[in-house]
Amino acid sequence: MNGRKTFGGGGASGGRGRAGQTAQGKDGQQRRPMFRRRKICKFCADKIDDINYKDARLLMPFVPERAKILPRRISGTCARHQRKLRVAIMRARVLALIPYTAE
Amino acid sequence: MNRKYELVYLVSPDASDEQVADLHTQIDDIVQRLGGQIDKTDNWGRRRLAYEIGRHKEATYVLENINGSGEVLKEIDRRLKVSDLVIRHLVVRVDENQEVIERTQAKRSDASRRRRTARGLPPDRQPGEGQRGDQDDDRDDRFDMSEDRR
Repeated sequence: MNGRKTFGGGGASGGRGRAGQTAQGKDGQQRRPMFRRRKICKFCADKIDDINYKDARLLMPFVPERAKILPRRISGTCARHQRKLRVAIMRARVLALIPYTAE
Repeated sequence: MNRKYELVYLVSPDASDEQVADLHTQIDDIVQRLGGQIDKTDNWGRRRLAYEIGRHKEATYVLENINGSGEVLKEIDRRLKVSDLVIRHLVVRVDENQEVIERTQAKRSDASRRRRTARGLPPDRQPGEGQRGDQDDDRDDRFDMSEDRR
């Protein structure tokens, strides 16, 4: 379990690494000082309790181009709402409101 | 034991309006016969399908809110499977989910009222009070689908 799970900026350097190390990796490559924008669950923020399978407009943003369900790590949806979202998307697909795949 | 169900079915675009209406009466008959009732019917009209079903590219969607036992829906399900006119249908039980939604909504409004009284405000939000509307939030940092490419 050596950290692939770094969420703050900086130190995704390999191995354990000493605590005081700078953002500069061993290979001399610049580690992204990239700004990660805070992710917020859309459904928590908008207080949408009912993720309804009939509401294709609501679901569409979560099935981009390839029509795959957008993972939580990208959309920032919380676990509870992602579960409900998944069920809603699967139902909407049955009714051909949302595609299973892109043509 | 009566429960609430939602039935959505897709009628082939070749069907006339009378045939769609006829289908509804057939379903109504089954529901009546087995001791249930239809609370609401909603015809969404003709819509494009997200993918082709058979050779169809569009279909008429009809939504029925049914109150009845599982037997009712079992029979309807059987009939719709056989029907040539109906190209797809889906039955969903909704009562449990509805309860959960109502509970969370009640909890939320309850909590907000408690917070407001604790701050010495009237429990309900007054008109013209509070922050700007949701629409004009320029610092909005929630996911907006335009940035999912890694």
